[in-house]
Amino acid sequence: MNKQGLLKLLALLFSMGLIAAACGGSDDGDTGATDTTEAEAEEAATDDTVAEAGTEAEGDNDTEIVPSEGERAYGGSIAVGLEAEAVGLRPWEDTCSSPCYNMMITIYDKLIEQTVDGEYEGWLLESIEPSEDFMSWVGVLRPGVTFHNGTELTAQTIADMFIVQQTGAASAGQISSANLADVQATGDLEVTYTLSQANSAFPAFLARAPIGMVFDPALATEDPDGYANAPVGTGPFVVESRDLDNETVVVRNENYWGTDPEGNQLPFLDQISFRPIPDEGTRLDALLSGTVNAFQTLRQGTIRDARAAVEEGADVTLLEFQGNNTGGGHFNVLVPPFDDKRVRNGLVHLNPQDQVIEALGGTGISLPATQWFSPDSPWYSEKVAEAWPKFDFNRGVELITEYVNDPARSDGKAVGEPISFEQSCPPDPTLIAATQVIIEVYEQTGGLIEAEVTNYDQQTHINYALGAENGFVGEHGAHCWRWSSEDDPSVNLNPALAPPTAEIAELAGIPGVVSPLNFANWFDGESFQAAVGATQTDDFAARYALYETIMLRIAEETPIWYSGHTATAIGTDANILGLNGWHLPSGSIGVGFPNAEGRWAEVWLG
Amino acid sequence: MTTTEPTVSLDQPTVVEAPKVQQSGVPREGIKPKRASVLEVWRSMPLTVKFSTVWLILVFGGAIYAKVDTTIFDGALPLQDPNAQTNGFSAATGEFGDGEPLEKPSADHWLGTDAIARDTFSRIVHGGWVSLIVASVAAGFGVIFGGFLGALVGFVRGRTEAVIMSAIDVILAFPALILLLAMVSIFRVRDLLIISLVIGFLSIPAYTRVARATSLAISQREFVLAARAIGTKPGTILRREVIPNVLPVVLSYAMVAAAFVIVVEGSLSFLGLSVQLPTSTWGNMINLARADIKVDVMQAVYPSLALVITVLSLNQVGDWFQKRASHRASAL
Repeated sequence: MNKQGLLKLLALLFSMGLIAAACGGSDDGDTGATDTTEAEAEEAATDDTVAEAGTEAEGDNDTEIVPSEGERAYGGSIAVGLEAEAVGLRPWEDTCSSPCYNMMITIYDKLIEQTVDGEYEGWLLESIEPSEDFMSWVGVLRPGVTFHNGTELTAQTIADMFIVQQTGAASAGQISSANLADVQATGDLEVTYTLSQANSAFPAFLARAPIGMVFDPALATEDPDGYANAPVGTGPFVVESRDLDNETVVVRNENYWGTDPEGNQLPFLDQISFRPIPDEGTRLDALLSGTVNAFQTLRQGTIRDARAAVEEGADVTLLEFQGNNTGGGHFNVLVPPFDDKRVRNGLVHLNPQDQVIEALGGTGISLPATQWFSPDSPWYSEKVAEAWPKFDFNRGVELITEYVNDPARSDGKAVGEPISFEQSCPPDPTLIAATQVIIEVYEQTGGLIEAEVTNYDQQTHINYALGAENGFVGEHGAHCWRWSSEDDPSVNLNPALAPPTAEIAELAGIPGVVSPLNFANWFDGESFQAAVGATQTDDFAARYALYETIMLRIAEETPIWYSGHTATAIGTDANILGLNGWHLPSGSIGVGFPNAEGRWAEVWLG
Repeated sequence: MTTTEPTVSLDQPTVVEAPKVQQSGVPREGIKPKRASVLEVWRSMPLTVKFSTVWLILVFGGAIYAKVDTTIFDGALPLQDPNAQTNGFSAATGEFGDGEPLEKPSADHWLGTDAIARDTFSRIVHGGWVSLIVASVAAGFGVIFGGFLGALVGFVRGRTEAVIMSAIDVILAFPALILLLAMVSIFRVRDLLIISLVIGFLSIPAYTRVARATSLAISQREFVLAARAIGTKPGTILRREVIPNVLPVVLSYAMVAAAFVIVVEGSLSFLGLSVQLPTSTWGNMINLARADIKVDVMQAVYPSLALVITVLSLNQVGDWFQKRASHRASAL
């Protein structure tokens, strides 16, 4: 071999050596694996930063919501790693999920907030009272609140906001679900909300971004596009710069109206920089390496890794929360074979829930779901948990076989031919793994099921389910999805149960009542009436019974399937305090950090 | 290697074919060119190229073995089912298996198991099939269409060249990966052959340019000029003189291009946009493993190594053949 050849061989071997050396580094990873398993076995209960609070549900590791101790300090800046960028920051227009919410809540105030007990109290509204029949609500605004541009907040502002919200992509549906018909300024600070139907849970809608966050309607009308990246609110921080997909910087609002219970002017921090870091591992590493000071996640696998890092001594506070939000998927019941209950029911029986949760990285973290409420929710029902179809291979095969051998089967195929459909999830590796676990069970049915597994990016995935181009029927089959939140059940259930298309609304005798947010396209008269009924009373027992009826109907008809409740977390440097146990203006402790959505006004550096 | 100039007698009729020169520059009629035996080719290879060749034979041979195992022998050959989850439900026993996700390498699982307890070694071997098909189809497509077009335009020049090269430039302007992403997202294409053909179609411009450059040079060589001078039909010259001399260069380029194509397919797989799951590809194995990279980094390393070494090997072998082809061309 000549000299050049020898050099090439050496280079090849050297490169392989480098790779091998990198592999050698996995020893740490291997140790980490053992540690993680041990940590899971111990359920991290011994770690002070992962305090136990969820006594109602075994395995629920919610961090206890208590105000941070220590002397408050002004100044300092932090960087927060988010799982995605927010395309726009307009509450009425831009659909906002957890990462976007973290940004928006620094810029905008909401009219209503939720307390740690799940009650709704005033934030910008000092009070809100219903009429006896829940057909109208009168709220009184807090005086002396101004927007970042100096404009004063008045009742007329709220009335003008309603004009913009009626056509907003995010708010129009919420207005419909809330039964909101009109908003009038009936005084300088008094606002009257008139509803088309009774809604005892109306304040819950004012605690959500689309119609609850307060913006400058004059500016929004003048330059709606510009508002997306130069938003103006009344919140504790003001947008200083926004470099899309890189960094959004907010700085202290010197004229903020809010104070903490001790009377300290809020906010404490000078500046927060939000940075989208989509890759889960990279985002956690960014926190551990000090690139960012806080991060948020909705993935069990990341929580597992963050817990392991804390176990290994990382100086990080992990605020965990697992609530009503649950993963799984829905069937498009307007499309064969999902229009047949036997198929849906059979497929749910073939869902190995524990193995799916394991594939999602959620063993020991995520609780198996049976309904839209977690075991520590006041709305949770044992009866529903019992009724939900569990993994039962033989029963699943029996039901699918019955459909396959039915000469009148809805998909028009010949008797004995397998059912076929598309099973789709976004291309997240844990979701891909979970889908393959389900598919492997389908494979065991002896050719009864042909499922085509697909993965589309998040936006395409949502668009297929929304189906704006085909009358909201959607282009999906079996589709990964999430449901529910800590909000009042009506906020999520009413739009999910309303007629999905104009034709169905017509047939149901409620023309014009159409909800594009009924993604499963499942319309059940009994459930819809129960959902409507639950908004016409504020009696908890009566409402509980109605929601239990809905959940039992879902368990019977199975338009959806469940994996586990969504575990979420915000991790911060240990010296970041005040994210846990923030306060409402009344002094009540706030809801905490549900769905990894932090409230940053009371945060200070210890 | 000797160079023999084609001899043309002015007395000969103009229909006389030009002498064949593709075999070591020796005319067909006369001394038979000496073909190098496989053993001689092997001996002439540098050690890195030998190593690379062995690797490619192992990877693609393994992939063919795996495919034969599943399609002909229904999994009876000694290689584990790449999709069987060792902790999964078995209809036969009515129970879940006792395997574990992310198992360490053992006698049962040479490279351990992945996040859903499937045998990693078997998945890597099967994953080679997708790479092999994509590389072969795309390269074949590129060599046949790109190679022919390039040889043609380099030889005929003029308007034909202007029109075809303009069309080639248009195809070249497409951002290949984005086009593929759009195609699989919008049209929901998941078929391996179609994905391969599209990648092949997008490869045509590169092959055309390589072939055209070689064809331009060949077309000015003495034996081509001589063939023109004696009145050989252009089609015959193209078929007998130009294409045979362009082909070795295009084929050696195909090996280098195949490496690129494998990386493109790997990128699509990584994004979850290649062949349908649970079919294993190196890209989707890396994607799946990254969720557990802090727990078991090796599950991401194994398929990455397979991809890296295969691409490196294709480049090594391709470079070597390219060098060989250029030696031959200069010796014509």
